[in-house]
Amino acid sequence: MASSTTAGAHDHPRGLRRFLFSTNHKDIGTLYIILGTIGGVVGFLLSLGMRLELAYPGVQIFPGLAELLQGADPSMALDAGKNLYNVFITVHGVLMIFFMAMPILIGGFGNWFVPIMIGAPDMAFPRLNNISFWLLVSALVLAVISMFVEGAPGMRGFGGGWTFYPPLSSNTGTPGPAMDFVILALHLAGASSILGAINFITTIFNMRAPGMTLHRMPLFVWSILVTAFLLLLVLPVLAGCVTMLLTDRNFGTMFYDPAGGGDPLLFQHLLWFFGHPEVYIVILPGFGIISQVVSTFSKKPVFGYLGMAYAMVSIGVLGSIVWAHHMYTVGMSLNAQRYFTLATMVIAVPTGIKIFSWIATMWGGSISFRAPMVWAIGFIFVFTMGGITGVVLANASADKQFHEGYYVVAHFHYTLSLGAVFALYAGFYYWFPKMSGYMYSETLAKANFWLLFIGVNIVFFPQHFLGLGGMPRRYIDYPDAYALWNMVSSFGMIFVTLSLIVWFYVIIDAFMKKRLAGANPWGVGATTLEWTLPSPPPFHQFQVLPRISGSGR
Amino acid sequence: MNAPAPHSRHRPRLIAAALIAGATAMLVLSFASVPLYRAFCAATGFGGTPKIDAAAAPTDPGERVLTVRFDANVARDLPWRFEPEVAKISLRTGETKTVYYKVANLSDRETSGQAAYNVAPGQAGAFFVKVACFCFEEKRLGPHGAEEWPVVFYLDPALEREEGMRGVREITLSYTFFATKDPAPSKTSETASEKPKG
Ligand code: HEM
Ligand SMILES: [Cu+2]
Repeated sequence: MASSTTAGAHDHPRGLRRFLFSTNHKDIGTLYIILGTIGGVVGFLLSLGMRLELAYPGVQIFPGLAELLQGADPSMALDAGKNLYNVFITVHGVLMIFFMAMPILIGGFGNWFVPIMIGAPDMAFPRLNNISFWLLVSALVLAVISMFVEGAPGMRGFGGGWTFYPPLSSNTGTPGPAMDFVILALHLAGASSILGAINFITTIFNMRAPGMTLHRMPLFVWSILVTAFLLLLVLPVLAGCVTMLLTDRNFGTMFYDPAGGGDPLLFQHLLWFFGHPEVYIVILPGFGIISQVVSTFSKKPVFGYLGMAYAMVSIGVLGSIVWAHHMYTVGMSLNAQRYFTLATMVIAVPTGIKIFSWIATMWGGSISFRAPMVWAIGFIFVFTMGGITGVVLANASADKQFHEGYYVVAHFHYTLSLGAVFALYAGFYYWFPKMSGYMYSETLAKANFWLLFIGVNIVFFPQHFLGLGGMPRRYIDYPDAYALWNMVSSFGMIFVTLSLIVWFYVIIDAFMKKRLAGANPWGVGATTLEWTLPSPPPFHQFQVLPRISGSGR
Repeated sequence: MNAPAPHSRHRPRLIAAALIAGATAMLVLSFASVPLYRAFCAATGFGGTPKIDAAAAPTDPGERVLTVRFDANVARDLPWRFEPEVAKISLRTGETKTVYYKVANLSDRETSGQAAYNVAPGQAGAFFVKVACFCFEEKRLGPHGAEEWPVVFYLDPALEREEGMRGVREITLSYTFFATKDPAPSKTSETASEKPKG
């Protein structure tokens, strides 16, 4: 390989070699999107299992699943089923965040469009890019294996939730190797993202075309830049955090074990120092996509460009100093609670700036309601919903009531499962013609939208009621009092499932019908550089660097 | 912003090196947070960490009288009985007091333990000053041995000037004895043999 890689920037490998050893940012972007789709589908199937189980009070399907998937002994099947439910929520959370949202939004769209949008021929370190991708694949394999090896005594998989709190995740709760697999998966995924972040930042700082100043970069590039800095800042902390857990588990250290003078709360601080910025890592690229889409289909430059860019920067900064709002119940001092409540609420200001700027961009624009725009408007709607419940939860007094309950589940699904996913779909439909060269079917795309929009709202809106009524999260069963809204919530999964099927059909349909998209299917509103290239773009674009004079927004 | 020079050969490496240094610094910081966290708690009494002042007691006694309760726990894997001589005392700030805890090893072998401790409510930590304590070191007890161990402490009169202490009338000092680990036995084999067959 070593000899051919130096030529990697100029040759055009085909077949398996093209993808296995790819150093081309577009091919790697495609690989990331495929990986994210696989992660997303598995994550979705897990959530389908959970919602089926939760449709009725009582425990129905998981004991059988445990026998089927994990070979549990029938006499132990009830306990194994309960354990498996918790394994499902854990793996669902990990997959959706690390192996669906991040790969598609950052690795997929970021790799595809950051170089093109700044007029660069490729990423700064193409081979590093390849390493990042395959590290993530290995991480996914480890995460899935963890479901099938011993975790808690006599059980398989780790069921302590995606936050991995000790003592659930230490030898006390999960002596078996399942947790070690999860930790190693996190290490690899983290390393992959850190390398990716270094690559993005270097590309953006060093490879912009002449005239493409930082303040002329499209907002999607800004969003990836801020995200990359966040990744670089917080992923090493996650790595440190889980490494200490690993040594606690295997080498007799006592970082999190009070018996040896350690403190399990240290874990929570470190985890959330990573965890809260992580939610912005997932949503910021979405913000960038929505800005591009809204401006394109309103045929206007984004309202308040600089405000939008620096709102993202300030969200990144503020997002890094509010972590303990996840820990109000651990017995923090009143003053600490006051600080974290206030700081969290302050984030609503830059977020509000973004929402209002999108609306102001649409205001007076000549809007065309093509599929990407419809997804973007859907995003603004659901994300605002999630933002409002977020402000409620920022209050320490309210959060102590709702902590570990379904109100929280509803909140973060409105921001992540709906918000990030809607942004992801907006980006997908926006760029699909560019990436594939073919037009999708507008009707099917809108069917995809309405099914998911109706579906997720039926699934998650009633969970606010369940949470207000006191239903705790991470349980396989619940008292009959919660039966009605759980039934409604599970019913919504019909629409969600259909929408996923329609989405696959959209792709099949587009590749079968082969409606050519042309360089710019969106008309005058699409001003960024990718629309100056043919669809799909050539294997190597910008042999002659473009020169940017006006704004590239 | 200067127009970038897209083909300068060394700039990408420099940027990447700076970024790697930054990420490494964060990694180091996450490990450094362990001693930092401890030092921070010891310095501020944060989260109910009592202060340690092995030197002497303050000369001037204060005004307020508070109740101090004593709580004693033993981790499951340590075969000890452990209880305070008295459940609670009342104490003037600035006054130094000695309280004894009774301990007994209930097993036929020598065992050793180390106490972890804390006071509640959390904001009282900064004013609860230990002069001497059995919890400062690892303790051993022979087979069926029994002993009485003292803790010497005072309440810092400075608490009278603290807003957060105004409503506090009772402070609880809590201990939990954990077995000190013998050189770690391999965990998986051990738990595998322990787990009930079902
Ligand atoms: C159709 C879509 C989805 C459904 C029906 C769904 C359903 C669920 C359910 C039932 C739980 C477990 C609740 C509990 O018992 O505590 C859960 C947890 C979770 N979900 Fe989703 N989910 C969906 C999509 C997503 C997406 C797209 C993301 C992220 C991007 C996501 C992130 C999470 C996280 C982080 C958890 C918490 C896991 C834990 O408790 O450790 N979900 N979801
Ligand atoms: Cu947070």
